[in-house]
Amino acid sequence: MNIYNRTVALEELPSGSRARIVEIIGRGGWIYRLYQMGLTPGVIVDVVLNIGRGPVIIRVMGVEIAIGRGIARRIIVEPINT
Amino acid sequence: MSRSTHKKEYEIAIIGQPNVGKSTLFNILTGRKAHVANWPGVTVEVHEGETYFNGNKIRLVDLPGIYGFSTLSLEERIARNYILSGRPDAVIVLVDSLNPERTMYLAIQALEMTGKVVIGFTKSDAAHAHGIHINYDLISKRLGVPVVPVSAATLRGIRSLLRSAIDVARGRAGRKKPFRIDYGELEPYVSSIESLLKQYEERLEYPIRWMALRLLEGDDDLYKYVRGVCGEDIAEEIARIREEVKKIFRRDPAELLAKKRFEYLQRILGDAIVRLEIKKGRFERFTRLFYRPFVGPVLSLTILLGMFMIAFTINTGFPLNILLDSLGMHDAASAIEEYSIGGLMEKLFSWISSWIINSFGESWLTDLVANGIISGVGSVLIFLPLIMIVSLFLAILEDSGIAPRMAVSLHGPLSKIGVSGHAIFPMTMSLGCNVPAILATRAIPSRSERLRLLMTLPFIPCQARLVVILAFASSLVSGYGALLVVLGYSAAFLAFAVVNKILYTYEKRKTGGKEPEIVLELPPIHRPLGKVLWWHVWDNSKHFLKKAGTIIFSLSILIWFLVNVSPGIALTDNPGESIAAVISHYLSPIVYPIGIEPGKAWIIAFALLIGFIAKEAVVETLTILTGTSSAQQALILLGLTASQLAALTVFVVLYVPCIATIAVIYSESRSVRHTLATIALMLGIAYVAMLITYGLSLII
Repeated sequence: MNIYNRTVALEELPSGSRARIVEIIGRGGWIYRLYQMGLTPGVIVDVVLNIGRGPVIIRVMGVEIAIGRGIARRIIVEPINT
Repeated sequence: MSRSTHKKEYEIAIIGQPNVGKSTLFNILTGRKAHVANWPGVTVEVHEGETYFNGNKIRLVDLPGIYGFSTLSLEERIARNYILSGRPDAVIVLVDSLNPERTMYLAIQALEMTGKVVIGFTKSDAAHAHGIHINYDLISKRLGVPVVPVSAATLRGIRSLLRSAIDVARGRAGRKKPFRIDYGELEPYVSSIESLLKQYEERLEYPIRWMALRLLEGDDDLYKYVRGVCGEDIAEEIARIREEVKKIFRRDPAELLAKKRFEYLQRILGDAIVRLEIKKGRFERFTRLFYRPFVGPVLSLTILLGMFMIAFTINTGFPLNILLDSLGMHDAASAIEEYSIGGLMEKLFSWISSWIINSFGESWLTDLVANGIISGVGSVLIFLPLIMIVSLFLAILEDSGIAPRMAVSLHGPLSKIGVSGHAIFPMTMSLGCNVPAILATRAIPSRSERLRLLMTLPFIPCQARLVVILAFASSLVSGYGALLVVLGYSAAFLAFAVVNKILYTYEKRKTGGKEPEIVLELPPIHRPLGKVLWWHVWDNSKHFLKKAGTIIFSLSILIWFLVNVSPGIALTDNPGESIAAVISHYLSPIVYPIGIEPGKAWIIAFALLIGFIAKEAVVETLTILTGTSSAQQALILLGLTASQLAALTVFVVLYVPCIATIAVIYSESRSVRHTLATIALMLGIAYVAMLITYGLSLII
C-alpha cells in the first residue's frame, strides 16, 4: 500500500516526524522492555525530539519514551508522510 | 457491629505499570498503616498493609511497578510468582486513564494468568480534563471482570474498588478461568505446546495455556521448570515448535505475541475510549530544556546542587553563614549559624545533658545518660531536619516527573563512565542512604552495569557521612570548613567516576561490552500531591528515627561502657585505660602515616572502627571518648591539624559506609566474592586517597 518503500533507523528521523515500526533488530533484555512498552512492528511512533545526539524522545500510544541512540539505531521504521 | 457471617480475611495484590499511580493508591487504601514485608528468599521491598471493609479484613500486598510478566527483572519474577502462587484472593491491576492503551498491557497479561482480577482506572479525575472518556462498563463486559474508575486526588471509587475486590475474592465476580486471547495464526503452535503439557497437568503448578504462551515467548526460567517436570523429550519438542515459529514467521515469537496482545487490546478498547483533544502540558517548553546538550546536564546539576544548598542552609546555616562572613557580615553569619535548626537542637541537647547532671548529681549513671546516650543520640538526631528537607526535594523531583527528564539529560555525560541515565535515581538516592539506592539498581536493565553500580554506589556519601563531614568542618575556621565539605564530596564523586570508568573499560576489553543504553518512560509533568510528598518524607524520617532510636542508642551505651570500663571490669575516669583503648591500640598504626601521635591515634582508630557499623557513630564515638558535648569541642581537644582533618574526611567518605549497606550488597549480588571485593576496594581506595590528600595538603 505504502508507496514509500524505504526504511530507515529510528535514530535518523527528525523531530516531528511520524513512522511505522518495521523491525527491531537484536536480542537481549532491551527488546522485551520495548515490546512491553508497546514498541512492536506495525505500531506508529511520533518523534518528539531528536537533536542528533543523546536519547531520541518518541511518543508511542500517548506515552513519551526516551530511547538511547544505540537502541534507536536498531529500530527500523518506515516514515509516514503527514 | 459487623455481621459475623461476613467476617473474613482476604489477601489482595495490587499491581500496575510504573507511573500509573500505584503507590499513591496503595497508601490511600491502607491509610498508611503499611509496613515493608520480608519475603522469603528475596530481599525485595514489598509493602503490605491492612484495611477493613464492611467487616472484612483485607491484607493488601503492593507489588513493585512492572511493565509485564517476563522474567526480565527480579521485580517481574517476584510479581509473577506471587500471582501464580494462588495466595492472593484477588488481584487489583491498575491502569492509567491517561494512557489506557499502553498500561492495559499488564492487565491483559494478568488476566491470562488468573481470572480473579479487578481493573482500576487511576487518575479518573484527570482523564476528563484531558478529554479522555472511557466506557468502563463496556470494557468490563468484554473482559468479564469488574472495571472501576478511581482517583487518588478526589478519593472517588476507592470504596467501590474494595467492594469489587471482595466480590472477586468470594467468587461473586470476576472470571472462573483465565482470559483467552485469540492469537490467530499462532494458535496452532500454542495449542501444540498446550497438548504436550496437558499430559502432565497434575504435576504442573501453573495454568497450562499461560505456560504454553510463555514457553513460546522463550521464558528460560519456565523452560527449565518444564524440563524438570516433563522430561527432556517434551522440552525438546517445545523448543522445536518455537524454532518452527521463528522460521516460518521470521520473527522472534516474543515480538509476535506482544504485537498480538496490543492488537487485541486495541479491539477491546478501540470504541470504548473516546479522545476529544490532546491538551499540551504547560510545562512542555520547560521540559524540552532538559534534552538540550550542555543546557540539560547543567540544568539538572544546578537543580540537585541548589536543593542540597537550601537544605544545608536551613539545617546548619552552611554555606550561607560562610558567604555572609566573607562579605564582612559577621554578626549575621553567626546568627544564622546559631538559629539554624541544627544549632537550636544542639543547644537543646546540651541543656538536657547539663540539667540531668545538675539535678541528679554526678554519678556513673548520670554520666551514662547525659554524656553517653543523650550526647550520642543527640549528635545524630540534629540531622533529622536535614533528612526531612532533602527527602522532600527528592520526592518533588520524583512525583512531578522531573526526575526522569534529569536522567535523560545526564545520560550523555554518565555514559562516558559506563553508566546509563537510569543510574541517576540510585545515585541521587545514595546521597540520602545507600541501602535503598542499592535496591533501586534493580530497575537498571543491564546486568553488568548493575553489578558495577553495586560496587561503586557506596562511594557516594550518604547523610550519615554528611553528618561526619559537617562535624569535622565545624571545628575549622568557616572558610576552611566549607572547603572540607567540597573536598569530601569531590573525593567521593571522583572515586565513583574513576572506579566506574576503570571497571567499564576492563569489561569492554574483556567482553567487547556495549555502550550504556537508556529506555525510559517520561510521564507528563504535573504538580505533586501534597500527601504523597509527606509520605516520602515521613518514610525516610521514620527510617532515620528508628535507626537513631535503636542502633545509635545501643551503640551509644556500648561505646560508653567500652570507654568508661577498664579491661579489669572496673569503672575508670581515664579513657586511656579503657577497653576501647586496648582494642584500638592495635589499630592505631593505621593513622600514624598522617602524623597523628600515638596518644591520640587510638581515639581516631576506635571511632573509625565503630564507623564500620554506622557512619554517624564516628561523631558520637569522638564526643564520648573525649567527654565533650559536641564534635566541635572533641576535635579541638584532639588538636588535629587541617591537613589531618582533610585526610580523615576523605577516608571517612570513601571507606565502607555501614554494615547495612554491606548486607544489602550481598543480598543483591548473591556473591560473597563480589561483596568482599567491594569491601577491599573501598578500604584500599579510601586509604590511598587519605594518604594522597594528606600529602597534597602538606605541599599546599
